Amino acid sequence: MSEVALRGSEGSNSRVVGGAPQRTALRRWIADAPAAYLLLLPVLILFGFAVLYPLVQTIVLSLWDIKGLGKPKFIGLGNFVALVQDANFRQAATTTLLWTLCTTAISVGAGWGIALLCALAPRQTLVPRVIIFAAFGVSEAVIGYVWLQVYRGDTAGLLNAILSGAGLGNLAHAWLGDAKTAIWCLIAAYSWAQTGLPLLVIFAATQAISRNVLEAAYVDGATPMNMMRHIIAPLSMPGVRVALFINLLGSLRAFDTIYVLTGGGPVRSTETIGYFMFRESFTQFKLGYGAAATLILLAAVLIVSIPAILQRTKSTT
Amino acid sequence: MRRRTMLAVFAASMLLSAAPVSAQDVSGDLVLLDWASGSEQEMIKALEDGFTKAYPNVHFKEINLTVQGDARGAIRAALQSGEKADLFINTWPAFRKELADAGLLRDLTSLWDSAKIGDNLSDSWKALGTTDGKLYGITYTYGDRSGMFYKTATMKKSGIDAQPKTWDEFVANFKKLNDAGITPIAIGAKYWSHAEWFESLYEHLNGVEKAADLAAHKIPWTDDSVKNTLRKFAEMLKAGCCGTAESMLANDWDTASDMVFVQGTAGYQIIGMWNNDRARNVDKLKEGEDYSLQQFPAMGAGHDDVSSVDSKEFSAFTDSANPAAADAFLAWVTTADAANIVARAGLASPSNKVDPSLYGPVMRIAAGAVSSSKVQFVLGDLLPGDLVDEYRVQLQKFLQDPSDATIDSVTQAIEAKAATFD
Repeated sequence: MSEVALRGSEGSNSRVVGGAPQRTALRRWIADAPAAYLLLLPVLILFGFAVLYPLVQTIVLSLWDIKGLGKPKFIGLGNFVALVQDANFRQAATTTLLWTLCTTAISVGAGWGIALLCALAPRQTLVPRVIIFAAFGVSEAVIGYVWLQVYRGDTAGLLNAILSGAGLGNLAHAWLGDAKTAIWCLIAAYSWAQTGLPLLVIFAATQAISRNVLEAAYVDGATPMNMMRHIIAPLSMPGVRVALFINLLGSLRAFDTIYVLTGGGPVRSTETIGYFMFRESFTQFKLGYGAAATLILLAAVLIVSIPAILQRTKSTT
Repeated sequence: MRRRTMLAVFAASMLLSAAPVSAQDVSGDLVLLDWASGSEQEMIKALEDGFTKAYPNVHFKEINLTVQGDARGAIRAALQSGEKADLFINTWPAFRKELADAGLLRDLTSLWDSAKIGDNLSDSWKALGTTDGKLYGITYTYGDRSGMFYKTATMKKSGIDAQPKTWDEFVANFKKLNDAGITPIAIGAKYWSHAEWFESLYEHLNGVEKAADLAAHKIPWTDDSVKNTLRKFAEMLKAGCCGTAESMLANDWDTASDMVFVQGTAGYQIIGMWNNDRARNVDKLKEGEDYSLQQFPAMGAGHDDVSSVDSKEFSAFTDSANPAAADAFLAWVTTADAANIVARAGLASPSNKVDPSLYGPVMRIAAGAVSSSKVQFVLGDLLPGDLVDEYRVQLQKFLQDPSDATIDSVTQAIEAKAATFD
């Protein structure tokens, strides 16, 4: 604050040249505040419309019992109590945990591994990097339809065809219709699509490593494996943390891939909280109940986000 | 003087309201909330074109909803988000009640009389479109949901020369089909269509009256009639009717339809008559030659004269911006012109003005079966709120493990959910 005030006084001719009495820091802050708020105003308006208003509406909605197009009934925290008691919601929460941990670990792990390999030969790996990242740019729904053909239960399904070709035809089956395999098929499809971003972010982190450090290690006789283990991998960690944060949030909110591939089935085995919220809100039209589920999902997202945001803020100030 | 003027205005308005409304008098935009897809949507377009030919001053507009699975959620979302339409397509009696209770549907009882719709539709169709004593829907098509579609080449390949009439003959054919590498029955259990078999089995074993009682929850879902039906279904599954549970649960009705009509990897499918439309217009098969329809086999339980049916109706919204055009369309849709458009598309029309010669062989079988049977509306469409969701999910559980223990647990789960609506 004092730095801002000082710059303000230096930049103002009237204050310095005119020899006016020195203002207190508080008075200067008050004088400068309108300009600051004016600059922030567009963002605040957008934030209010796009985030605050829907959030308040969702909170209000969660306090009502709404079934279909019938008359809403105020029930206070009744929806939250019902959610806790709802076996389907508890199952969705467990599935969400499994889904989020696995898709994040696999996509970031794979992205990290590929990024480290690419770091050893950046120019030669440009094309593979672009190809892998391209999958991240494709809509999740389109990816869902692509993987639908991979997991088809008949012999026209790519996975079954490969298994049959490899003499493992006895393993071929309807992957998405089996509650034991459907969730893993979804995790594989989603992780594949989400590997591009960690690759990009972590590769960028490796490219920020000073050449001097690498050259010094080389001169000191470090092998490529040593350089990878003791220099590139540790110094890529800031990129890994960013990728973990982004992919974790993406996984928590994932919907399209599940919708296209399994519709939450079979027998709700692939239903995450995000899908549960959709089903309750838009298929059953229990808007209050769905809003309560949304708020629980939001709480989970905030729990994950806030420490990461605080850490990023600390590291940039 | 003022009183006389008022009387004159009143008399004039009475005269105007009593005078028949000509096609030229009806004008403006007519908005339809439409969730039909594929060739069925094309038929709706043909109806719109037919109507605007008769009423040239009306301009049809559509609010199209693209849906996967049950369309009710998308319709509710459209209405809640403020979409304004004059008409919409409905196929669920339970949804009609929900909308009527919310005050969103216009009572069409007076239109039935004033437009003489009764000259084209019988009272049974009026009853079908009625909720709590008020008419809310004008039926424009109906379907036989106890008919089994099959492809003739598939039957020939399996050595089945004549279609089975009895249940025992039907089950005996499973072996022939399996031996030919064909799954006897295609069931798409990913969302909802697996319930078709349960419902036709239930009605043939217990009768339509009991099915109506079950839909209204006058008898519990734990009733022996439900359990015995599931046991019969389990017998079918154990006899190798339908492939693995995984393959059923991975498929929706349309992939099941492709298995029967396109790939020829499955024998039969029970589904609505829109499948006839699909077979003709999408799969380009010749009705009655390339494929046909076999009525549900007789089970010998004293209820073989039953058929599960569905229907589709047009309903009008209370906040319609153009009720005159909406009424004109609702009356027109029962006329010969409209009925023949429906029939040409491969669907059945409830209008007695339809030209039966337009029906193909499959539609004639379906229409004959419905007209000669005691009918019961599709059970899933009668169940309120999320009970239908629970019912379908529990039937999926049954397909995974059709044991007596599962039958007990799934019937208890449906009953528990049904009890929340009492």
